Amino acid sequence: MPLQTLIGAGLVLLALAMAWGASSVSSEAGYGGVGPNFFPWVVSIALLICGVLCVAHALTGGFRNLEEGSGDVRAHWKGFIWVSAGLLLNAMLITTLGFILSCALCFVLSVRGFKSAEGELDLRLQAWIKDSLIGFAVAAPVYWMFTQLLAINLPGLTNTGWL
Amino acid sequence: METLNLLMQGFATAATPINLMWAFVGCMIGTAVGVLPGIGPAVAVAMLLPITVKVEATASMIFFAGIYYGAMYGGSTTSILLNTPGEAGSMVTAMEGNKMAKSGRAGAALATAAIGSFVAGTIATVLVTFFAPLVAEYAVRLGPPEYFLLMVLAFTTVSAVLGKSTLRGMVALFVGLAMGLIGIDQITGQARYTGGVPEFMDGIEVVLIAVGLFAVGEALYNVMYEGRTDETQNRLTSTHMTKEEWRRSWPAWIRATFIGFPFGTIPAGGSEIPTFLSYAAEKKLSKNKEEFGTTGAIEGVAGPEAANNAAITATLIPLLTLGIPTSNTTAILLGAFQNYGIQPGPQLFDTNGALVWALIASMYIGNVMLLILNLPLVGLWVKLLNIPKSYLYAGILVFSTLGVYGMRQSAFDLVLLYAIGLLGVVMRRFDFPAAPVVVGMILGPLAEAQMRNAVAIGEGKWTIFLERPGSITLIVIILTVLILPRLLRRWAARRLAMAVSG
Repeated sequence: MPLQTLIGAGLVLLALAMAWGASSVSSEAGYGGVGPNFFPWVVSIALLICGVLCVAHALTGGFRNLEEGSGDVRAHWKGFIWVSAGLLLNAMLITTLGFILSCALCFVLSVRGFKSAEGELDLRLQAWIKDSLIGFAVAAPVYWMFTQLLAINLPGLTNTGWL
Repeated sequence: METLNLLMQGFATAATPINLMWAFVGCMIGTAVGVLPGIGPAVAVAMLLPITVKVEATASMIFFAGIYYGAMYGGSTTSILLNTPGEAGSMVTAMEGNKMAKSGRAGAALATAAIGSFVAGTIATVLVTFFAPLVAEYAVRLGPPEYFLLMVLAFTTVSAVLGKSTLRGMVALFVGLAMGLIGIDQITGQARYTGGVPEFMDGIEVVLIAVGLFAVGEALYNVMYEGRTDETQNRLTSTHMTKEEWRRSWPAWIRATFIGFPFGTIPAGGSEIPTFLSYAAEKKLSKNKEEFGTTGAIEGVAGPEAANNAAITATLIPLLTLGIPTSNTTAILLGAFQNYGIQPGPQLFDTNGALVWALIASMYIGNVMLLILNLPLVGLWVKLLNIPKSYLYAGILVFSTLGVYGMRQSAFDLVLLYAIGLLGVVMRRFDFPAAPVVVGMILGPLAEAQMRNAVAIGEGKWTIFLERPGSITLIVIILTVLILPRLLRRWAARRLAMAVSG
């Protein structure tokens, strides 16, 4: 169970990182209590135990009482890349393009990803346009409702509060 | 009588047009997220948490609570028509409900689920009305040691008791606790685990974790592994129940309410166990045993669905009176309270009495709204199931951006959101529960503060936890909770196996 071992090892690493962090927190306890480093140590040690147990389980027949993840055995990486691109571009562009356009872009790219996972990837121009319009129709009312009605600050391309 | 007076005042607040509007919108959104696969009440509340910046506390709590119990109504529609239970609580409903739908009785199944939810929700709200103040009155006497142990109890139940594997539950819990450690220490003001990143000084927003694990994680998981999973939808029939069906439904509703409610009140949240218990009870008492698992027995839908709603409503007792969330959604509701600087707990009934009573009153109103929304209008909600999956998930991602970005206006948070989404995929693939992460992250800092205060009260001695009757009782309860549900579940599973096979 190499992947499970990897997860357990990751937990052990996380625990060690937490412990390293805990060692730099002061133990100043004030009024006879315990200091701010106590709880970090508890968490580090508990994570270490959990990580070691996970590795042990993974090496001795795999995680116990495991319900296999639903769906296909193999991941569909192409779809994953489309969706990831949508999410990460959104994070990069939201302050420059504004909420509506950036989210519409995220929408279009994600739709490409899900369609590709269903085996129906459509890269024709008309499909891009249709999905962009739908993405705009989803993002714009949300933006208007939040900025106009609730006065919550979301970035726009312009300062008009409408785009 | 005093309770009734307060409740009447609550109705006066809840029935103002603006609050009625919030309750209605909350119930609408709740039903919609309940019906839609891939999104649940916890995420919906988390995504909309930014409204706490502008909307007044009472209105937004009424709104969020509406989403919370509204989702339970909507969830039954999906599990009956699609046989894909949205959450653990509607697993049993899906079993019998789908059988009924296959034999052309989808309408009756939907009706008994909706009316049962209404009956259970209303009775449970009455019980909350009278019990919550009593619990609060008692809880005032609790000190830091008891609070700390109550939180340990909540940790134990969400991580060790509810999941399939104690180890993976504990992993999730401690990852959540680790996330909660990031930021400024509440007592000494020291920065911990910030790594010099200024964004980490205020800690990680719970919205980010909840939306990342449940919405982004779910979407990424879906695109990677479930692209080809097809759903067949059962045909909707008239939501009319015959006299015979009424006669068979109502005892099941009542019994299930009283099975479900206690499970919600104790920090052993989750409606999985009571729905199974209710199913087993109905199966045993039914005169139409041959219908179970074959053509679908109406009691098998009526009972579990009512038990689910009663348990969900009851989770508000530990949330409001102790400040302890026992489910994902209540954990996020706690976050909503914290955004207003309100700490739920025994004092809540004194300091924010108007809010609490308006919230409770709004639940009576909301249940009526939901009955209307879900019975005559069920056809409308079913149309939601026709949205293509690609548009549904892409839309969920847009709303995720809204919730996370709206909270702190930080593009850094959106990158973090993606990272948490990836974590969500790994956790889902390897069957790690996500609820303990959220509960651990929210309750962790509170538990740490209570623990340090408790030890300070004991002048540095840990024996303080063994010197007080309250804390000893709690230690005993924690140990019981660790052992009892295992026995109960084994028993319920055996009963269920017998019920299904026999």
